[in-house]
Amino acid sequence: MKLIINGKEIVAQPGMTVLEAAKAGGIYIPSLCYHPRTGQAGKCRVCVVEVEGMRGLQVSCNLKVQDGMSVKTKTPQVLAAQKLVVDLLLATGKHDCIACESNGKCELQDAAYYLGIERAPFKYDDIHYAEGDKSAPFVRLDKDKCISCGRCVVACNNQVVNEVLDFAQRGYRTEIVCDDDKPMGDSSCVQCGECSQVCPVGAIVDVKSVGKARSWETKVVRTTCPYCGVGCQLDLHMKGDQIVQVTGTEEGSPNKGKLCVKGRYGYDFIYAEDRLTHPLIKENGEFRKASWDEAINLVASKFKEAIDKYGPDSVAGVSCARSINEDSYNMQKLFRGVFKTNNIDHCART
Amino acid sequence: MISTGATKKIESLMARYPKKESALMPALMIVQKENGNVLSKGDIEETAKLIGVTDAKAFGVATFYTMYNVKEKIGKYHLQVDTNIPATLAGAKKILAYIEKKLGIKAGQTTADGLFTLHEVECLASCGTCPVIQVNDTYYENLTVKKVDLLIESLKKGEMPDNKARSNWGSACNVLLKNRGVKDAAKLSVYKRKGGYKALEKALTMAPEAIVAEVKESGLKGRGGAGFPTGTKWGFLPKNNTNPVYLICNADEGEPGTYKDRQIMEYDPHLLIEGMAIAARALGSKLGFIYIRGEFDWIADILETAIEEAKKGGQLKEFDIIVHRGAGAYVCGEETALIESIEGKRGQPRMKPPFPAAQGLYGCPTIVNNVETFASVPFIIEKGAAEFKKFGPAESAGFRIFGISGNVKKPGAYEYPMGVSFNDLIAAAGGVDGDLKAAIVGGLSVAILKADELKDLNMDYASCAAKGTALGSGGVMVINDTWSIPELALRAMKFYAHESCGKCTPCKEGSKMTVRALQKIVSGQGTTEDLANVERLVGTIKGLTLCPVGEAFSVPIRAMVEKFRPEFEALIKH
Ligand SMILES: Cc1cc2nc3c(=O)[nH]c(=O)nc-3n(C[C@H](O)[C@H](O)[C@H](O)COP(=O)(O)O)c2cc1C
Ligand code: SF4
Ligand code: SF4
Ligand code: SF4
Ligand code: SF4
Ligand code: FES
Repeated sequence: MKLIINGKEIVAQPGMTVLEAAKAGGIYIPSLCYHPRTGQAGKCRVCVVEVEGMRGLQVSCNLKVQDGMSVKTKTPQVLAAQKLVVDLLLATGKHDCIACESNGKCELQDAAYYLGIERAPFKYDDIHYAEGDKSAPFVRLDKDKCISCGRCVVACNNQVVNEVLDFAQRGYRTEIVCDDDKPMGDSSCVQCGECSQVCPVGAIVDVKSVGKARSWETKVVRTTCPYCGVGCQLDLHMKGDQIVQVTGTEEGSPNKGKLCVKGRYGYDFIYAEDRLTHPLIKENGEFRKASWDEAINLVASKFKEAIDKYGPDSVAGVSCARSINEDSYNMQKLFRGVFKTNNIDHCART
Repeated sequence: MISTGATKKIESLMARYPKKESALMPALMIVQKENGNVLSKGDIEETAKLIGVTDAKAFGVATFYTMYNVKEKIGKYHLQVDTNIPATLAGAKKILAYIEKKLGIKAGQTTADGLFTLHEVECLASCGTCPVIQVNDTYYENLTVKKVDLLIESLKKGEMPDNKARSNWGSACNVLLKNRGVKDAAKLSVYKRKGGYKALEKALTMAPEAIVAEVKESGLKGRGGAGFPTGTKWGFLPKNNTNPVYLICNADEGEPGTYKDRQIMEYDPHLLIEGMAIAARALGSKLGFIYIRGEFDWIADILETAIEEAKKGGQLKEFDIIVHRGAGAYVCGEETALIESIEGKRGQPRMKPPFPAAQGLYGCPTIVNNVETFASVPFIIEKGAAEFKKFGPAESAGFRIFGISGNVKKPGAYEYPMGVSFNDLIAAAGGVDGDLKAAIVGGLSVAILKADELKDLNMDYASCAAKGTALGSGGVMVINDTWSIPELALRAMKFYAHESCGKCTPCKEGSKMTVRALQKIVSGQGTTEDLANVERLVGTIKGLTLCPVGEAFSVPIRAMVEKFRPEFEALIKH
């Protein structure tokens, strides 16, 4: 189906929202609380548009496209509403972007930039700020920058189902809490970092990345997590040849952006001094460097020797939990199909 | 700590609701009451575990509703002084100041001996009997300085004095208030003697569609505030539905200036129950809820007793009603917030669509109506739509209880046909006390009218709309010329900022920002920029929020600024 946005024809799929259709068509509508994985929340109210034939402003994240619909995203009324929302958020938080981790990848900053807001016009001196929560090793929560979009709450409860976060208090005093308002480090939080990944601003950030790189200095390298058989897709954010942050690949299967604490934060080992970088063969009680071919040939010959002498059941294999599913599959094929033994197991089974 | 007795009570509540999580709010209240009126984190965690929700959920709920005291401690007597607009107009600020002086503490503090904690609170729905203080669960109305002295002296001796209040009422229709003066009308036998439950009897012989058709024909519009045609709403239930249908009576009565529903629930509870039972028959509902504001604890008890009696008396054979107590949140009057609250959640409105008629409580089709709406149904069924339409003009059929408060000589609840003139209504309430300056005629959330706009006003939907205001909840607040509108605007705005649920940005941050700007103006520190900020905020917020609360404050504040601009400008330093 087709719709018109700002006079431009946009092709959309039935079931899409106006916000999604606009994005797919390359038209920016500021949005803060919507995230594809946490869904429509209708909370921020910044994504409003005008639609021909509909009275008043429409929230584009909760409006399904209709064939022939005519949408305007830049009418004076729309811009005034968006400007008020962003002004209010900037005025009631501590948004000094210079040292903020999210500078350059912040959806609030993007909205402010789009609307031409340099600083909020409201100056009232009783706007107080909360203390940041630095109690946890990997995830830091700075309520000063929180815009109450609710993405982290939905993600923690419904995406990773760790059920740690929720909103507490109400009205302008509404805040994010871990459990019954415990410091994150003392709470039931497992430091998976999902909340950090979905946070549109710099309110929840990865501690390990703080001060490591500006967002525009990094390039993304996609890879598969080396920790377990699930094979989560990772985006490595590289500054030069150094990883400064790891995020889950939003569109990558099977994890669709989600990661566990190891996959997200356990990347230091690759820089370990004593990390194995090539095969070693032990001769006379001493390890010596070997090539992959030499090492594999040696292992193959030893297996052959044992099977010839004592039969196929004389050998057994334990596949490593850190190998991906496909590798474990191949491993059992090797043992069952080639070696002809059922002596095959996996170390994560017990 | 949760005692075994409390645990048992909570477990039986969990079984009573279709979903156990709904028991969270009553459970927290039970636990609070047995622990010195405070909820510690330990208590919250234990309750969460018992109900089976996360600690964060339970904490989020406990800190959302004002009646939970998530604190270290609270005085033996919790003095809660209502200072909302109707109370202020009745002199509540003086009462508060007097108590502060008498106890030597400020609002928000506790006396050194731990006997009293003093709080300024929002409208307690006693607008006709203001000033009012709620002491723990008990209302003390019609307060004077002298009565405050007696109250405090008695409390110091550890005695809760008698709380009898004098209240004015009158009826020109004898329907909704017909049993108001009848002794023991809350009893089933008395209600039946007065002709009660005849309509239900008749309804049970009627086809459900015929009941809906009769209500549609009557032109009855919802009395909760929005004035949506009741029959039409009932017609929105999905056809061929296989899910349970829930019926909810909205008895939150939170709109400042409104205290009409309590007249029905306290004095004629069976009228409401009969109305709900007829609706249940019409809509095929087996389970209904009365969501009553938590402060009306004693009225909730009256309802529960009446429901038990009705069940025993065979009036509720195929329909059961659960009384669900709120815990202090105006926004829970909004129907989707109310539904969330019954589900045991923070009372935050849902995005619409879907509408409750399609997906409401527990995701099932749900019809929400106001107390007065349900209470009008027995008349329509018994006497017929045509009789109902004899009251009031065509588009505003029927009768209504108007709650008059503020500067009149006999504030009270008066039942009149729709379309009664403002002047007649005020005359019934004893006339204006002083010189009429303005009035807010439909609860605090509608636009204020100046004296000259009130002259030819009739109390019906069309006449109010023609004046740029709304009939709303029928709560009429009369303001004489001793009051400063900017001060009232600030007090009204503080209410909305306090009650904003915090879900959407324009209301969450905008309500507080408007308070800040108004505060500066009222304190004499304001500039034209502050007034411009107020106007920008209320001008832009209307229509931008997730639920109607944004509109509920932007409309009245905007009207106050527009109509009384010179008063605001006079406060601004040049
Ligand atoms: C903030 C807010 C507060 C409300 N408070 C009440 C209330 O206390 N009682 C009530 O019956 N309706 C209240 N309403 C209206 C309800 O949402 C709903 O429209 C009404 O209960 C429907 O019943 P009715 O059609 O019989 O009026 C409120 C609405 C809003 C937006
Ligand atoms: S959260 Fe965004 S707007 Fe706020 S300081 Fe950080 S980059 Fe700036
Ligand atoms: S790190 Fe994971 S478990 Fe902890 S709060 Fe964030 S999403 Fe929840
Ligand atoms: S912490 Fe981030 S994701 Fe969570 S509510 Fe605040 S801004 Fe949204
Ligand atoms: S307008 Fe928004 S913040 Fe205000 S009460 Fe409604 S949903 Fe909550
Ligand atoms: S993105 Fe639409 S309301 Fe937040």
